[in-house]
Amino acid sequence: MQGLPLSFTNVSKAFSIKGKALPVIDDLSLDCPAGSFTAVLGPSGCGKSTLLRLALALETEDAGSVQIGPDTPRSACRSGAVGVAFQDAALLPWRSVEDNIRLPFEVLGRARPDAAHIAKLIELVGLQGFERAKPGELSGGMRQRVAIARALATDPRILLMDEPFGALDLILRRQMNLELQRIWAARRPTTLLITHGVDEAVYLADRVVILSPRPARVVADISVNFQRPRSTDLLRDPEFHQLCDEIGAWLEPGAAKASPAAHA
Amino acid sequence: MTRFRDHAATLTLVLGLLVLWEVAGQLRWVADGTLPSLSAILSRLTAEWGEYRPHVSATLHSASLGFVFGNVVALLAATCFCLWPLSERLFRGINIAAFTVPPIAVAPVLVIALDGDTARITLAALLVYFPTMTAALAGMQSADPRAIDLIRAYGGNELKLMRLLRLRSSLPFIMTGFQVAAPAAVLGAILAEFGSGARWGLGTFLLGSLGRAEPDRLWGIGLTATAIAGLGYAISAFLAARLADTNRAVNVGVAPATTETAASPSWQRLLVLAAAILLPFITWQLLLWWADLSPIIAKTPLGVVDYLFTGTTAASAQERLLAALSETIPITIIGMLVGLGVAFGLALLSFASPIVMRALLPFALVTQTMPLVALTPLAVLVFGRGVTVTLVITISVTFFAAFVVLVQGFAMIPRAAYDLVSVYGAATAKKLKLIAIPASRQWIFVAARLALPKALLGVMIAEWLATGKGLGNLLNQSRGYLDYGMIWTVAVASILLSVLLYQLAGLAEWWQNRRHFDTPSDRT
Repeated sequence: MQGLPLSFTNVSKAFSIKGKALPVIDDLSLDCPAGSFTAVLGPSGCGKSTLLRLALALETEDAGSVQIGPDTPRSACRSGAVGVAFQDAALLPWRSVEDNIRLPFEVLGRARPDAAHIAKLIELVGLQGFERAKPGELSGGMRQRVAIARALATDPRILLMDEPFGALDLILRRQMNLELQRIWAARRPTTLLITHGVDEAVYLADRVVILSPRPARVVADISVNFQRPRSTDLLRDPEFHQLCDEIGAWLEPGAAKASPAAHA
Repeated sequence: MTRFRDHAATLTLVLGLLVLWEVAGQLRWVADGTLPSLSAILSRLTAEWGEYRPHVSATLHSASLGFVFGNVVALLAATCFCLWPLSERLFRGINIAAFTVPPIAVAPVLVIALDGDTARITLAALLVYFPTMTAALAGMQSADPRAIDLIRAYGGNELKLMRLLRLRSSLPFIMTGFQVAAPAAVLGAILAEFGSGARWGLGTFLLGSLGRAEPDRLWGIGLTATAIAGLGYAISAFLAARLADTNRAVNVGVAPATTETAASPSWQRLLVLAAAILLPFITWQLLLWWADLSPIIAKTPLGVVDYLFTGTTAASAQERLLAALSETIPITIIGMLVGLGVAFGLALLSFASPIVMRALLPFALVTQTMPLVALTPLAVLVFGRGVTVTLVITISVTFFAAFVVLVQGFAMIPRAAYDLVSVYGAATAKKLKLIAIPASRQWIFVAARLALPKALLGVMIAEWLATGKGLGNLLNQSRGYLDYGMIWTVAVASILLSVLLYQLAGLAEWWQNRRHFDTPSDRT
């Protein structure tokens, strides 16, 4: 199934804290073409997660618009076009691995997926043998893989991920990056990845978008042109490191205002 | 291995206390044999079991039906309150009334308005409603916010959230609610038997045995009631523990949920508040219309106003009511304060020595189902019919709820806080002083709020059965004179008094939190 385009047009969003308005996103525009892989980087608390929550219709924008294909986020989500993985696996502790992966079908009111479909997803994330395990019996990395499988369960045309590997150690994170790349290449959902990891962003994405400190605006939009499929060798490539350094410079305090030399 | 040793120590202590009881009974240490030995109580109980059986099954019948009905209503209500928060605000008046209502005051009213069996089941159900409703609501509202996001992200609406997430995550909470509700159902059934002229039931049996001054019989009845209530408690506790394993850490919602909703215009809030205050009275009126009773025995809200303010006997009614209130209110407050003190001491003890606390817990639990119905006659034997007996009974009914709140409060202090002071070499006493006591300031008012209605209940029961003073006595007398106006007036006055005391404690709690702690709404 083909990915759907995702676009944020002149989006603003403020939260009210103790009666005072705190602008989180300010006139932000971002276009993610169908089938693209976009990574979003930015200082902590800059509103990256809010961006994702807007696309999931968990928040409503104050101004501007968010569109998924021809639809609003709400109707796109209700139609099952969107898959999501959060930083926390958010598994239901009383459900087995299989039943957790099946959850989106129940929420969407769709027919129960056949066993082969679920088995394929479990195999994809390498959890064969744990089909009937409860989340409490799994390690943090395994739980996160269940969450990824669940995000993919509905064959989403948009994949939204909020630091899905944030809680994992570096080795596991690398391994999950590889798997995510493989899964994405096979199905090509339009992907938006919110992350803290510069190398993760560069390794996975077609483009890296850097946001300013709160209120978030796009301060840099850097395309990543390494050939796919990308092997782990890329992680040792000098060009890779140069790009990472360049992006890292954007993330240093004050960088967003005075555009750093690296970008020129 | 240490766990095993802990359990062994607890068991030894429990056995030790039981042996102490036996010896104290055999040697007639307590007030010339008013505390019989355990073996004497049990042997009499087994010998008279044939006489017990119809009473036990009658109480079991009304308590279990009340338990079922009360819980069904409570779960439906909690679901509605969670799905439509406005309904929770509208029903707040009814909920607070359901929590604070002294069952002994409504029992005669229920007996007037309903037939005996229905009255007993209704009172049991009424006492079951609140603990289960609050626990279930707290469970539903505390469902994992990440999982809520996830289900919403797939377009799930509130009903889907309820079905897939909230109901299941509230299960352990509901089971903890049942732990409170099960003894409450037994208590409700027995209290309604007191005034209903029922032929069978442990309450009737107890009332019939009162005049005979046979402590072993009274203890036998008390222990039987306790066993029934304890069984319900134990089953719920077992299920709660099993279910908690499959959920995250769980804390009990011990107080009515005070979810402050986002700012709506103040006139709207006032409107909702007014509706919440009026709703109990409207419900009262509607129920009476529905029951279609004679206005002579069933008083409407206006009927009570007429009786107390405009009727021919209004002056005398007012005088008697005020006299009763002036006797009941001071002793209620003193009893509550002492009860809190006892609870605080026990909570500190349990913090310092978990083994002692586990050994005391079964006995503390016994006092929860036992004292109201059985302790009063026994307490009269031991303490006479003066102020002391009222205080003893009030303390024994108030301390447990307060104790549970304080222990939970202590348990919510992060482990790291203790570890931190331990690292600096603090001994237990220091830990209490530095951490537990300051932290408990936050909980003592919650405990007070929960303890006040119970204190009033304890005072009224003591007044009814022992001292012949105050509201409890006025209620009992009015039953004797068939003074229906006064029965309804006392019921309403005691509920209003209870709500008032509860709100005052709530106000003190709010003021204290503002002074010393960030209120939760300040954190974002």
